[in-house]
Amino acid sequence: MRENEENGLPAGMAPEGKIEVPAGGLVLPDSEKGSLVNAWSLSLVGAVVVLTVLCTVWPDPYLEILRFLPGGLVVTFEVTVLSIICAIPLGLLTGLGRLSHNRIINLVASTYVEVIRGIPLLVQIFYIYYALAKFLQVSGLTSAVIAISFCYGAYMGEVFRAGIMAVPKGQIEASRSLGFNKVQTMLLVVLPQALRTIVPPVGNECIAMLKDTSLVSVMAMPDLMQFGRSFAAKSYLYFETYTVIALIYLIITLLLSKAVSILESRLNYYDKRK
Amino acid sequence: MIRRLLCALLLPALLCSSAMAAEKLVVATNPEWPPMEFLDDNRNIVGYDVDMFKAVAAEAGMEAEFKMTAWDGIFAGIAAGNYDVIASAVTITPERQRAYAFTVPYYDVQQIVVLRKGNSASGFADLKGKVIGGQIGTTGVFVAQKSGVDMTIREYENVGLAMQDLLNERIDAVVCDSPVALYYANQKEGFSDQLTVAFRTEATESFGFVVRKDRKDLVERLNKGIEAVRAKGIEAKLIQKWLGE
Repeated sequence: MRENEENGLPAGMAPEGKIEVPAGGLVLPDSEKGSLVNAWSLSLVGAVVVLTVLCTVWPDPYLEILRFLPGGLVVTFEVTVLSIICAIPLGLLTGLGRLSHNRIINLVASTYVEVIRGIPLLVQIFYIYYALAKFLQVSGLTSAVIAISFCYGAYMGEVFRAGIMAVPKGQIEASRSLGFNKVQTMLLVVLPQALRTIVPPVGNECIAMLKDTSLVSVMAMPDLMQFGRSFAAKSYLYFETYTVIALIYLIITLLLSKAVSILESRLNYYDKRK
Repeated sequence: MIRRLLCALLLPALLCSSAMAAEKLVVATNPEWPPMEFLDDNRNIVGYDVDMFKAVAAEAGMEAEFKMTAWDGIFAGIAAGNYDVIASAVTITPERQRAYAFTVPYYDVQQIVVLRKGNSASGFADLKGKVIGGQIGTTGVFVAQKSGVDMTIREYENVGLAMQDLLNERIDAVVCDSPVALYYANQKEGFSDQLTVAFRTEATESFGFVVRKDRKDLVERLNKGIEAVRAKGIEAKLIQKWLGE
């Protein structure tokens, strides 16, 4: 039996638990990692090189713009991180609500998704900050976090729902027949498996969220975009300022998308080995 | 060369056919700066600048077509050639003069700081540690920044939103051109009973119409128009009508 197994292996495939190193110690690029020149690295290197060249060749406007921006970057990250912290639990609850057999919970969750998805984020921001100010007044940061997390909570709710539904029904049946109750089944069996499908799209939503925080500049929130607009309005250097702003958003987004793809490949570790 | 010839041939023909139609200028304005320019109940762009520029253009033998434009980017638009003139309470500053051409000044203003009733301040120093709002890219914001006083400056899309936030007690003060501040503090319904003028800056600023740098000819024609409007007493009437002075 053992002999058969060893002989039956296709050429080039290592026995389980061993990493094959080709002769000569040369490690060929893993097909999963992709070659060195791909769209991602090209964009990142391009953006960094352009930004560096601009700042060294014409330090007068460009370096000055770059020095002006860090304060805005802090606010952008603050809004993004707080919104992610609020939106993910909201999305999970919404996703579970959409799958609930309780008609009232289901209706509430579905209505929330329908209503929020149908209103542009910019309108929501204006609504929470300026329109609702008549009844309750919240600070710019709070309004921004509420508006963005409510909006993305609805988007993520659909992602969570799809992820949970993608777990084979047999898993739930098996878990129930082993004596787990409904809550235990969801928490211990379904969600951990759903996570693998959920993480990449949720990561993408988070990146989209970071880009959408540029909308909060309408509330005079001093984020990256607002700093850029303020600088452009003062210096009349529209081309230079928005070039730098675009490059900075691009670099942040590319780094985050890499982080998401690394996370994704970690989660799919066992799938790939099959 | 051919194009010029064609123009020379076609121009008289065109002029004759349209019964000597006046040259049309596309004029950008940001109608969120009452009473200089704003939208009336029928969504027409009205205000002092609008009437003033129409009179000036008429004296210079031209017609004006107003185009609603956001303030943020109004200068980028003229550089791109989207319109011929900006008539939108633009203060003549050395920085702007470097990039654009201005007509002679047509109106002088100061900056005024507006507070909620019951508060007082006699200068920027009294606003230390407070939050002051203004419209992004306006000289009011620049004056507050240059004052060197340690206060938070928030730059809004338009001055109306800043005034609204002042009423909502999210900010402590708003700085803007004197006609606009007086309009909100004395005239505008829903605002005038809750707002008060704190102080004015000493320095005066002058408004000018903005033209692209390579249109010196247009600047000269408009300057002559402004002169004529003044000589005929139209300017005084318009000031009386819109600014009540």
